[in-house]
Amino acid sequence: MKLIRYHRPTTLEEARRLLKELGPSGLPLAGATSHAFMKGDDEKTAVDLAWLGYDRIATIDGGFTVGANTRIADLQQYHAPGWVLDRVALRFVNQPIRNMTTIGGNIARVFPWNDFPVVLLALGADMIVTGEVEAVHPADTYFKGQPARLFQPGDLLTEIRVPAIVPGVGFGYHKETVVNMAFSALTLAVRLTLDKRMIADVRIAAGAGIPLPARLTAIEQALMGRPISTETIQQALDAQVDAVTWKGGDGFSDAYVRQLARVHLEDVLIEAWQAAKGGAA
Amino acid sequence: MKLTLTLNGKSRAIEINANDKLSDVLRLLGCASVKTGCHEGACGSCGVLLNGRIVNSCLTYAAQADGGNVETVESIGSLDAPHPIQAALVEAGAVQCGFCMPGMIMAAKSVFDKNPAPSDEELAIHLDGQLCRCTGYEKIQTALRNVAQAAGVPDALVGGQGDRS
Repeated sequence: MKLIRYHRPTTLEEARRLLKELGPSGLPLAGATSHAFMKGDDEKTAVDLAWLGYDRIATIDGGFTVGANTRIADLQQYHAPGWVLDRVALRFVNQPIRNMTTIGGNIARVFPWNDFPVVLLALGADMIVTGEVEAVHPADTYFKGQPARLFQPGDLLTEIRVPAIVPGVGFGYHKETVVNMAFSALTLAVRLTLDKRMIADVRIAAGAGIPLPARLTAIEQALMGRPISTETIQQALDAQVDAVTWKGGDGFSDAYVRQLARVHLEDVLIEAWQAAKGGAA
Repeated sequence: MKLTLTLNGKSRAIEINANDKLSDVLRLLGCASVKTGCHEGACGSCGVLLNGRIVNSCLTYAAQADGGNVETVESIGSLDAPHPIQAALVEAGAVQCGFCMPGMIMAAKSVFDKNPAPSDEELAIHLDGQLCRCTGYEKIQTALRNVAQAAGVPDALVGGQGDRS
């Protein structure tokens, strides 16, 4: 891919107009860190989104609103009760890349190894796409396939609404890589809600070890409504881990990734359980 | 298109193409310290500060830096008057082939600019992305710990080894 022109709009309206006019030759430019991997001679005109705003984190009722142009480094440095994306950001590639990549760029086009689709699925976030009207897409809809199917020409992802982790709710996260900055071989995230000792709700999502980030609903169903314990978690995983088609890569066999998933699913579920009952995680 | 930026404290302008990377343009502007090792954001040898943050200039389009403030290692010291980070690296014997050093020094500067006495953990987090294939990092870490301690942080407050695994 080759950029032949560069535009720097300063309003959402201007950016939308440019992208509409440019059609397929227009390229919304976020952090640009994935461009090194875009081969071929396609000529594109960049529309830089960095000057539109939409680059702040703020609290809203029940959680946080994150502008789509917010850098991963800003997620890393933000701290507030109920905020967990700082932990996720810290495992994202390396500091220069965290300083460049935006959360919107990480979820506008979904690759199997992307970190944030997994986490936003587990947390039950909402994605806001702004076009002629503002559309709110729950994560379950947004990540059902490539998000491009939800965008009309000129539409832009502008905001992500992330629920806060509140008392009684726990979050668990694990990303497996060969070296710290490598693409993920397996990403897992869990949000678990306890009602006394019963599992009132659980959302489990995986990425990298499966074709595209998705929720692991068979395992969720095996846990829902049951009393929380190590045995409950182990029984649910033993019964349902093979309901998922695990996928190897980068030297990992399918069977190895399946075993990795079995082990780390138990870890992240226990982590979320401990956090839900007021532990350290 | 015309690129205008502040480079090492001086206003500079140059004609660029939309596809030009910042690393290539900085070298054209005389900053030979900017090295391109991997061209995919893995090695850090092209690291420069863009508006105070360490970035991979090999991945950054020059156009993205238009109007910005870029700092390279050329701006922060000389053989006769090295920056405290540079002096500490030399003192600790932390430099061997030197290829990674411009990016390493600028990444360290981005930390010390915000916090004169960072912990080992903070340094490890912010230097993640700067690869050195000579030193094994120990002497680099020692040098930067010495800079932090010189800034007045008590030994007890300097954190444990950062996890680079």
